[in-house]
Amino acid sequence: MSTLIIIDSAPYGDWSGREGLDMAFSLAAFDQSVTLLFIGAGVNWLRKGQSPEGISQKSVEKNLSAAPIFGVEALLADGRDCQTYGLTEDELIASVSQVELGPELLNQYKHTVFAG
Amino acid sequence: MQHSEPFSFTIVITGAPYSSQAPQTALGFAKAALASGHRIDRIFLYGDGVHVASSLSSPPSDESHWPREWSQLLQAHNIPGIVCIASALRRGIVDEGEQKRYELSAHNIRPPFIIAGLGEWVESGLRSSRVIYFHGGSRA
Repeated sequence: MSTLIIIDSAPYGDWSGREGLDMAFSLAAFDQSVTLLFIGAGVNWLRKGQSPEGISQKSVEKNLSAAPIFGVEALLADGRDCQTYGLTEDELIASVSQVELGPELLNQYKHTVFAG
Repeated sequence: MQHSEPFSFTIVITGAPYSSQAPQTALGFAKAALASGHRIDRIFLYGDGVHVASSLSSPPSDESHWPREWSQLLQAHNIPGIVCIASALRRGIVDEGEQKRYELSAHNIRPPFIIAGLGEWVESGLRSSRVIYFHGGSRA
């Protein structure tokens, strides 16, 4: 069984993305195949050099960088949305692959879950 | 409608009652699924959806009481109602065990809901034939 978790909202504005990450890490902890896909404003989760200390939140950059170590199979970002938000490849954290969002991609997964 | 084989559903609710339509839409779906002979394995409350399990919700008497309606449906059909522990504790939905652990002044979980971990949701993906999500949908 493979699951694709899709995060489509910008970081730090609400808790849905964070709780989406918890879902991904939980699947990985139970040895289930899981991939994270960031689309829309969600691609900003993958930006290097986040410093949310000023709003008393913890950066998720380290967790995301460590996602492959914890068993998350891949970190994917919609390439077109990266372009929209001016995210070039060297501004993205390591191990992110840019993909095209479409049926070909979604068909590879048994379950697709939007974070709240 | 003809069904060759009944489905088994897990229903995940991530939108709060009175802030979003999610709990009400999910309730309608659950009733329709049961009426059509399908099974519901469990309800899983996640994120803001945990507010469905508050025993303190007290809407005006001429408004629908979504938490109570959900409890009644779960009890009538013996469906487990699971509340994600991390989401619940953040938002002040607490059972007696967590009240003691965190030395809180009260507990407020509405029976038959119980608090458990995301492992229950992981198991749903393995066991149920469909996992259906009801989100708040406040974003464009």
